[in-house]
Amino acid sequence: MSVAPGLRRGDTVTAPTSRPATARPAERATTRRWARPQRSRAQWAGWLFALPALLMYAVFELRPILTAVQCSFYDWDGISAATPVGVANYTRVFTEPQLLASIVHSLVLIVFFTVLPVILGLAVASVVREIRSTWAGAAARTLMFLPQIIPGAASAIAWTWMYSPDGAVNQLLRALGLGSLTRAWLGDFTWALPAVGIIGTWLATGLCTLLLMAGIGKIDTSLYEAASLDGASRLQQFRAITLPGLRAEIGVCVTITVIAALASFDVVFMSTQGGPGYSTQVPGVQVYQLAFTENRIGQSSALAVVLSLLVLAVVLPLQRVFKEK
Amino acid sequence: MHTPVTRRTAARTGALLALALAAGTTAACSAPGPAANAPAADSTPTAVSTSLPTTPVTLKLYDGQGLKSVDDALIAAFTKQHPNVTITATYDPDNVTTQNQPRQLASSTPPDLVRVISVTAGTKNNLLTNLDAYATAYGWDELPASQLAQFRAKDGVAGAGSLYAKASGFTMTGLYYDKKVAASLGMTTPPASLDELSSWMTRAKAAGVTPMVVANKEGGGVFPFQLIINSAMGPKKVSEWVFNAPGATIDTPEAVAAATTVAGWNKAGLFPGSVNALDATAADALFASGKALFFPWGNWDAANLDKTMPGQVGFFAMPPASAGGQVAAMSDAATAFGIPARSQHKDAAAAFLNFLSSDEARQIAVDHGFMPSGGADQAQPSIPSGSVLGDVTSAFAKVSAAGGQVPFVQNATAGISNRAWTPESQLLLGGSSTPQTFVANVQKSYEDELKR
Repeated sequence: MSVAPGLRRGDTVTAPTSRPATARPAERATTRRWARPQRSRAQWAGWLFALPALLMYAVFELRPILTAVQCSFYDWDGISAATPVGVANYTRVFTEPQLLASIVHSLVLIVFFTVLPVILGLAVASVVREIRSTWAGAAARTLMFLPQIIPGAASAIAWTWMYSPDGAVNQLLRALGLGSLTRAWLGDFTWALPAVGIIGTWLATGLCTLLLMAGIGKIDTSLYEAASLDGASRLQQFRAITLPGLRAEIGVCVTITVIAALASFDVVFMSTQGGPGYSTQVPGVQVYQLAFTENRIGQSSALAVVLSLLVLAVVLPLQRVFKEK
Repeated sequence: MHTPVTRRTAARTGALLALALAAGTTAACSAPGPAANAPAADSTPTAVSTSLPTTPVTLKLYDGQGLKSVDDALIAAFTKQHPNVTITATYDPDNVTTQNQPRQLASSTPPDLVRVISVTAGTKNNLLTNLDAYATAYGWDELPASQLAQFRAKDGVAGAGSLYAKASGFTMTGLYYDKKVAASLGMTTPPASLDELSSWMTRAKAAGVTPMVVANKEGGGVFPFQLIINSAMGPKKVSEWVFNAPGATIDTPEAVAAATTVAGWNKAGLFPGSVNALDATAADALFASGKALFFPWGNWDAANLDKTMPGQVGFFAMPPASAGGQVAAMSDAATAFGIPARSQHKDAAAAFLNFLSSDEARQIAVDHGFMPSGGADQAQPSIPSGSVLGDVTSAFAKVSAAGGQVPFVQNATAGISNRAWTPESQLLLGGSSTPQTFVANVQKSYEDELKR
């Protein structure tokens, strides 16, 4: 194996990491000539270690994404030859009222999947912080996190039973003397979407609470002590210490749950399949139905691409908002 | 000790990386779908034989999980007659067969017997074997025409033309009724006209029972609607619509009238109050509670009802508008078996199709709750006494004799059920739509999907 001329002397040179950190400028100047191969060596060795993961990423992430983008420009039933249709599939996404309405529904779901869980999570985390008993704290954490370990599809089925005309929700309302409010929640044009949203709230609150509790644990307790000595009320402490201290954690909560809301599939599919009428239709379910029940792979891919872009368009600015200063 | 990485090695690693990324992504560069030079398959065999090969042959069969017990029984009986034939079956969950069957059919090594969900989709790409030569050789043309019409297709339109599948049995729809509730109201014979049916429902409401169990969460509200149009529009026009015949429309005065009747029944409180939230399981439970009179549903529930309400349930075909008119029912195949064009064992597979209308297979179909395929001159399968299946079978015989077998409107196109029938019927029964808008929107969705 021939060696690059500059490297002949390199035999005596140690790896960059073991080079004395206090190398004088003059020394650096002399090493620069053969420092380049050293750098690229470290660089390429790193890439080599990443190769298996990169390969998996290329095959199972990049390729499907590129295929979906490509398919979105074709009319294809998944079996016979595809015909190119230009941007017709995209035009349809933005002109068909039902496809557009489903995007609006997913935006409404953000209220239930993100806003409510974060508010509830903040409240619960602040309260649990003050619970001195470790036993009670652990119990609270476990209970709050429980919904998170149940698959969304399974909890959707359980909630479907609870929402049924004689289910737990209506039984509770009747027991409270609110029998006039009872209804078939998932069959009601006005209430089906909020009812589906509540399932998402139930699922996401545990995750948010846990993340926020971990965040609160990192805040220096002396800050709270100092604040209370200065006579700050609980609410003032929350606003001045807890909230700014949790900026990054809230950012994570919001990002994860917003994606869950916009790309929701399992909860809606298992509870209403988009009904009654079109009142709970969301892009995730539409993508599935277009591709697998209607065999319209092109149209389905176009909607999936639009959905991905929508998620990015909502999530990227959020990243900026929650960036720690 | 360090092994120096040279530029060349580095370059090589780089090339490797680029190659890996490319390998992962290149397949996406060609147009989706098969290459134009895919091997052609013989979809219209002419030299066919009714004699089975004498050497051992293994057939692969593909069907839905719900049909497993009846298929297994049919396979056992057939292979007993033909010991050199082995049939290995694969079953997918029923709701998944819709998605997987087209891919099974398009595979280069497809099963030899496959559940045919859409005859036109199967013929479009020459993926199904034209069975005309076998029909002549075996004499299937003597079967009642309405039992084969659903599996015929010509130029992308089903209902007439060449034969592509044969059924292992049929489903049958109509109205179950609770005999105990009926007797308490004074109803001794099933109603003979639509008006009579309506008046019994009104009386049931006055007596405090649910007049008609309809579960519309999954679009069950389409059931009473289609039961009415089957005879109002006539089986031929409804079938043509489902078969996508050119110019067929559901936007007819008869359909608007039927939707008006159904919406009116719901408005008058003759359906359960939470009709749009009720699913099939909840509907079953409501009917089994003994507090309901009619239940528009099908043969698939007969065994279950025999178990939960033994001897208490009757069944009749939907009465026509006026007594003595056309009786009809939605009735399609339990499984319509077809032979993929690329199958290597077409003669043996055709022998299995022929077996499906034999006396032995007919008994197996009935034993599993399906209506038998075959002619009226064949021996009648025996049915356990007291089973509601007796009522279902005689209703089927009546409908079959009247040429009233109609396919389900939800099967007109792949997307029509999800995209139009279910949501639109929910809007209709929820009071957010009118009968005219209901049929017009369904028709619009139908045309959109067909012209795409």
